[in-house]
Amino acid sequence: MDFLKRFAKRLGFTLLTILAMSILIFFLVEIMPGDVAQTVLGQSATEESVAALRDRMGLDDPMHERYIRWAGGFIRGDLGESLYMRGVQINTIFWRKVGHSVVLALTALLFYVPLSILFGVFAGVKEGKAPDAIISFVGLATMALPEFVSGIILITVFAVGLEILPIASIIPIGENLWQNLDILVLPALSITFVMFGYVSRMQRSSMVSVMKADYIRAAILKGMPRKYVIFRHALKNALLPTITIIGMNMGWLFGGLIVVETLFGFPGLGSLTMSAIKTRDIPLIEACVLFITFIFVFSTFITDMLYAFLNPRIRYKRGDV
Amino acid sequence: MYTLERTQDPDIGHLKAQDFENLEKIATPDDHTVVITLKEAAPTFNFIFTDYNMAILSSDYDYASKGESAPMGTGPFKLEKLVPKESALLVKNSDYWAEGLPKADELRIYFVPDIDSSVSLLEAGEVDIVPQISPIIKKRLESMDGFKVVSPYQESRFIALADDREPFSDNRVRLAFKYSMDPEILAKACQGTLGETIFYNETPIVNALAQYKKIPFRGRDIDKAKELLAEAGYPDGLSVDFFYASDHPYGSDIAQTLKELAAPAGIELNLKGFPRDIYLSQHWMDGPMLLTGWGVRVDPSMLLMLAYHSEGPWNESHIDNPRIDELIEKIRGEVDPEVRQTYYDELQQIFHEEGTVINLQVPYLVGVSDAVTDYRQPLTMLPQLEYTTIK
Repeated sequence: MDFLKRFAKRLGFTLLTILAMSILIFFLVEIMPGDVAQTVLGQSATEESVAALRDRMGLDDPMHERYIRWAGGFIRGDLGESLYMRGVQINTIFWRKVGHSVVLALTALLFYVPLSILFGVFAGVKEGKAPDAIISFVGLATMALPEFVSGIILITVFAVGLEILPIASIIPIGENLWQNLDILVLPALSITFVMFGYVSRMQRSSMVSVMKADYIRAAILKGMPRKYVIFRHALKNALLPTITIIGMNMGWLFGGLIVVETLFGFPGLGSLTMSAIKTRDIPLIEACVLFITFIFVFSTFITDMLYAFLNPRIRYKRGDV
Repeated sequence: MYTLERTQDPDIGHLKAQDFENLEKIATPDDHTVVITLKEAAPTFNFIFTDYNMAILSSDYDYASKGESAPMGTGPFKLEKLVPKESALLVKNSDYWAEGLPKADELRIYFVPDIDSSVSLLEAGEVDIVPQISPIIKKRLESMDGFKVVSPYQESRFIALADDREPFSDNRVRLAFKYSMDPEILAKACQGTLGETIFYNETPIVNALAQYKKIPFRGRDIDKAKELLAEAGYPDGLSVDFFYASDHPYGSDIAQTLKELAAPAGIELNLKGFPRDIYLSQHWMDGPMLLTGWGVRVDPSMLLMLAYHSEGPWNESHIDNPRIDELIEKIRGEVDPEVRQTYYDELQQIFHEEGTVINLQVPYLVGVSDAVTDYRQPLTMLPQLEYTTIK
């Protein structure tokens, strides 16, 4: 019951956050310098033609009416029309790119989650010894490297040097992502470089703290096999902070990979956002930013719920949520 | 007919509206002939059709709602497949008017947001042509086997000094700035050689065109520059904001060099570099000093009308000189080429003495693999890929 109450409250709060963010995004884009109609028609447009287009686009309507129209379109699944590519519905570009980004994010998750947890656990149980020092050093080093640096290193080694992976992540015309899975490897490895440090260090410190707990010591003293104690008792509790870190980064992973996607030329949501900003394609910017916000807010919500579900102290706690 | 008529449609706000105001009537006596009658003589009228804004469009095409989503036209290739913001497949137009062209059966175009990623694709053999590369990338490609860099034409970088606001509203300040320039150093900053790959003058007419009048360099003279500034009321020098596109080839190099060259004269340039889209949408046409990339027009009067006539839609330096306006109009109407050239000569002399522009001409660079032959891109700036073959 407590869990359900917590779920309902958090869901309400999440929806409220999305509403507030949608208002903020809409108004921030509205106050950006420049006139949309002027941008569409170009510098040479006459005042009459700009005024006529403003009228056609409803830009002279009160701001709240325009917001309701825009938000209503989103709820109905109508993301509007691109300004930069006149006649192109955003829906026809957007969901393809979102799909690509989701596949990239899942690939990266597949790479870094098991790797980081495994090495984090290993470093934790070997606290203060050589493996711990090496893993911590590698984690810190990869974490400190910006994505564009690690990306260039990966390109140099795997694409230019060894020539085993493609240099850029373009999808040949007439093919789809599933026919070109190799283009995912380098961007996913670049993300792994960044995330490995965070997650493995979190896993390590959590493991160190759990391994010192009384119930673990008792289990070891009882003569239970060390592997059994680590993986059945310690890991279960030591995973909670790691799950939080992974969850908190889901938003970034699914929508915020602007640097990685641009560097590799990967046709995903990040590079689409970058391109929309560069071309001042306002409806497309709004669609991208709102969707990324949505992913951030919902991934936080899901993490929160998962954390509550896995942690009995929260699951069964009464009162304050 | 539709292509011409739409230039006068006020709803479109066509960039070439002014050029086609001279149309009196258009007739199509048969399927392959268009007869255009002008109100006044315009000997270089036919050149206007080479402008990249003058693509031939069909009246069947609803440009307002379809935009570029389903292009139709008379070109050598047809759009077969378009994935917006990702790629496009163009295939040979078998009905193309020129026999034997295009040479390539299809063109695969990838829209890559980052120039470095595009060059990586070229180096990896994934693509064969990458347009608009920087001089630094040119050096890199030239040091590698299997690639070459072609420079089909020169384009201009206009350093515009605004005529309608301080400090450049005073011609003495404009002259002081010009006296602080050193074309040799500017050419080196652009990784080129003056007179070979880089050209410099103080008029809008590029050196490569027949209408260009050779005027000797004024020479760098810092004392003269300081003297002129003092006369103009700036004995202690001045400071001015300089807007430019930092990510446009040559942009940052030119801006930084101008700053260094002008400083000894007491002119401090506050560099305001922005990504090109932001520069064009927010600062271009509205700054005391600008650096803008301009393509060359086959007939210089097209550019003069656009950017140096007081009523020109892209008059970025806000120049408003009745004699220049008059000369531009005379150039457009004069039938005798010799007389026309005298107008060009006078115009260039005025620009040299009191103009609002420094015209630095830099090569437009295209990186290609050795598999590419006959890459053509004339002064119209539009690549003529129908001639290109890729092995």
